[in-house]
Amino acid sequence: MNIKIAVIEFAGSNCDLDTLHVLKNVIDDVEADLVWHNHFKESKYDGVILPGGFAFGDYLRAGIIAAHSPAIDEARIMLDDGRPVIGICNGFQILTEAQFLPGALLRNDSLKFICKWVNLQIVNNNTAFSNKMQLGDVCALPIAHAEGRYFTDNLKELEENNQIVFKYSTEQGELTKEANPNGSLENIAGICNMEQNCIGLMPHPERASEAILSPKRTTHGKLFFESMIEFIKQRLS
Amino acid sequence: MTKVDVNGKEVDVEMNSDEFEKVKNLLERDPNITELGMFDVMWSEHCSYKSSRPKLRMFEDAEKNYDYVLAGPGQDAGVIDIGDGYALAFRIESHNHPSAIEPYHGAATGIGGIIRDILCMGGRPIALLDPLRFGRLKDNPHSQWLFKYVVKGIADYGNCTGIPTIGGEVEFDNSFESNCLVNVACIGLGTIEDFKHAPSRAYNPGDYVILMGGSTGRDGIHGVTFASRTLTEMSEADRPAVQIGDPFTKKMIIEATLEALKTGYVRGLKDLGGGGLTCATSELTGDGNTGAKVDLKKVFTREPGMNSYDVMLSESQERMAFIVKPEGLNIVLDVFRKYELNFAVIGRTDESKVLKVYDGDDPVVSIPAKALSESPTFKRKEKRPSYLDELLAQKTPQPSLQFEDIIYRLIASENICSKEWVYRQYDHEVGVRSVVKCGEGDSGILRIIGTDKFIAASVGANSKHCFLDPYEGAKGGLVEVCGNIIANGAKPMAMVNCCNFGNPEIPESFWYFSKAVESMNDFCRTMRIPIVGGNVSFYNEDEVKKTAIKATPIIMIVGLLEGEENIITLPFKNAGDDIFLVGETTSELGGSEYHSVIYNLEGGIPPKVDEAKIKNIWDFLFELYRNKLIKANHDVNKGGFIITIAEMCFKNKLGANLDLTNCFDGKLRDDEFLFSESNGRFIIETDPKDYGEIMNLANSYGVALKKIGVLIPQPEIIIRGLKKKDFRLTLPKLKENFDSTIPNLMEI
Repeated sequence: MNIKIAVIEFAGSNCDLDTLHVLKNVIDDVEADLVWHNHFKESKYDGVILPGGFAFGDYLRAGIIAAHSPAIDEARIMLDDGRPVIGICNGFQILTEAQFLPGALLRNDSLKFICKWVNLQIVNNNTAFSNKMQLGDVCALPIAHAEGRYFTDNLKELEENNQIVFKYSTEQGELTKEANPNGSLENIAGICNMEQNCIGLMPHPERASEAILSPKRTTHGKLFFESMIEFIKQRLS
Repeated sequence: MTKVDVNGKEVDVEMNSDEFEKVKNLLERDPNITELGMFDVMWSEHCSYKSSRPKLRMFEDAEKNYDYVLAGPGQDAGVIDIGDGYALAFRIESHNHPSAIEPYHGAATGIGGIIRDILCMGGRPIALLDPLRFGRLKDNPHSQWLFKYVVKGIADYGNCTGIPTIGGEVEFDNSFESNCLVNVACIGLGTIEDFKHAPSRAYNPGDYVILMGGSTGRDGIHGVTFASRTLTEMSEADRPAVQIGDPFTKKMIIEATLEALKTGYVRGLKDLGGGGLTCATSELTGDGNTGAKVDLKKVFTREPGMNSYDVMLSESQERMAFIVKPEGLNIVLDVFRKYELNFAVIGRTDESKVLKVYDGDDPVVSIPAKALSESPTFKRKEKRPSYLDELLAQKTPQPSLQFEDIIYRLIASENICSKEWVYRQYDHEVGVRSVVKCGEGDSGILRIIGTDKFIAASVGANSKHCFLDPYEGAKGGLVEVCGNIIANGAKPMAMVNCCNFGNPEIPESFWYFSKAVESMNDFCRTMRIPIVGGNVSFYNEDEVKKTAIKATPIIMIVGLLEGEENIITLPFKNAGDDIFLVGETTSELGGSEYHSVIYNLEGGIPPKVDEAKIKNIWDFLFELYRNKLIKANHDVNKGGFIITIAEMCFKNKLGANLDLTNCFDGKLRDDEFLFSESNGRFIIETDPKDYGEIMNLANSYGVALKKIGVLIPQPEIIIRGLKKKDFRLTLPKLKENFDSTIPNLMEI
């Protein structure tokens, strides 16, 4: 079974090659292509990742110009038929702007770009990007963003539908204010759609998939991509 | 400013009247106004190095003398072969003047410029480093403003282009209050073949000249001449000479350029930086021994009504000039189309060796291509400043404070404290190469994916030491930056420098430059470190206060190591291990943080460098590395070795029990031993069972080595064995002081 994932290169994506590197060189059982956003055709792929970066310079508002790329029309077809659509960092911002996911990502409460390692608690392990973890597990990943403060005026619905997937926590899994790097509502770091095939998150699993890059030699980032592959396998079987 | 007569009209130019005569001789006629502007820009200090060139000639020919150096000084960047088919390009540059009046865009376009320099060598930019200088932050809103927006300018530009900022350093000293320093360094990675694709020359007649990227506007006209004089109260009015950056377009240019190079149809490549289209077209043809015919009507401009003078001298950002083989024109243009970048075929090269510029059908410029690079040089006078004797004679007062209070104050000083406030704003991980990240080691370490190799990079200089003695001070900077590389286990491979000095026409200012260059040359030849590039920024002088900045010859070293297991890190690892001080401590408190923070003194005798001893220490450390005898290493820098030990304790919350009895001879005072910034010292952690072997090796290498204590699980540093009474420092208080200084000053 050849599983094939597209990593979309928008004008201004800059974690595209990093994500491709992990899929090609770190994760097993998957093929991956880097696809220029105007050339993307969904039919060839089992899943798609919108990588981090500054698509179209984040001009106007982070993610909004990319949300109007033809790649998003293709991705919507995948979204509707249940294939995984994943947005990491800028990709998450694009997914909210394209209304694949609810809510918005606002300026960090510090008003500054923040690059640091954080801990994430797994709140929903049924999704296409979290099924390899246990509920309550804590993963170490880095963030690098200026607009990552998640906000929604419909928190209740999000909670009721189990759409919150990842929350910023301490290493012990406590959901404290100090563990929240950017002022996100309810420490939210990542969410999914109701069908759980579309996930957006601010932290970067592709930067946390190899021990050599991780301060504590962890490889938690791998679990995210392996979840995606597992999800595809179950879908296809 | 000089007034010259052009066709009966009086015109102000930066060049002097002798230079104007030389222009007329080269052209064998009077220049027109556009031509004169082009000469004026290309013969500015910034472009022509006319004051520094005679001195810089002493640097050895690195390409000839080191077989792994592929490109040396005079190129857009130095390039070294790192084995396994890969090569690194790197360069450092200043963007001081623009940043002093417009910190955000000044710093951002500095990053933009250095990225272009690396890109046009053919490699992918993979890392940025930024050494900075500002006035003291405390009670100084102007310095806080500059610091805040320079950091933001670097962050916004670097983060958006997806190039990690992996290191840097910053010093605060009031000599930089009106003349902040913003130096920017970039490292590029590629295969050796990548760097051979397209030289910065148009050597083949008949090729197309393509301008690609940003549009040409009126911004930055005469930016380089502005950078070649001192800032004055009038400089605010020069703000239009500062360019505006667009990191998104730059990101597209990076990807489009790398993709265009892969087509094989690009024969030459040059970025448009200082001097704009004038510099790019004249250097491409001049260095390539060709000529070209260029039509300015084809250049896409940002506003209507720009004349030939504006277009030729604009320094608008985000532009590249491509020399393309005729048969590949459309293939290259398709790449630019894919990235939705603007481009224009503006001309073709020919055999004439003359640069001919047309505005439609009207000829506007006709200059022999090489003439613009034939600027005269000046032999500047140099004189040792008379104030130095008095400064060097300053004595260290007897300390009235307790040592613990002194150390708590030192670790909180702006120049020693944590710079986390800065590097948290930089994406230092994009690219998935950063192995030793900001704040984790003395240097930034990147892996080369697909090999077992790692590169280490560090930048720095000690401006206070250089102010007192530029010769020993510049060497001290080299020892320190090499020390950063070696502390992480890597071997220094090559050096580039960025010389920041005052007005070269003032003999005292030029003396500093002259001594620093001699020093770098002497040290690098002795230690066999090739100098592969450099940049000079003069005129960092405050016209109002009539003061120059403290001399700042910034050093950048790139090192190499193989095998992840050979990376040495800074934090102490295990309680019970031995702590050694490697190297000799002498009475060298001149220009120290101790003098500055505790006594507000600038003088005294600064540290000297003994190359033979330094060499022995480096060889000794590598021998210990080979034998796996070192568990942690950190080089001793500002504030002395207690600060070094505290920094090593923080991460794993270990303490240190130090016994300094018999560690220093009776000639030194306690404070001299504790706070001297003597060069070339390291603090290492070792296993107690290896004590004998390590001492034997130190003997055979002739290295001064003292066991000064052991690691303890309690969070404190206990210090015994001084002439004065014993004392202890608590780790939480040290850490609090270390961490809080900059946030307290900046987050208001």
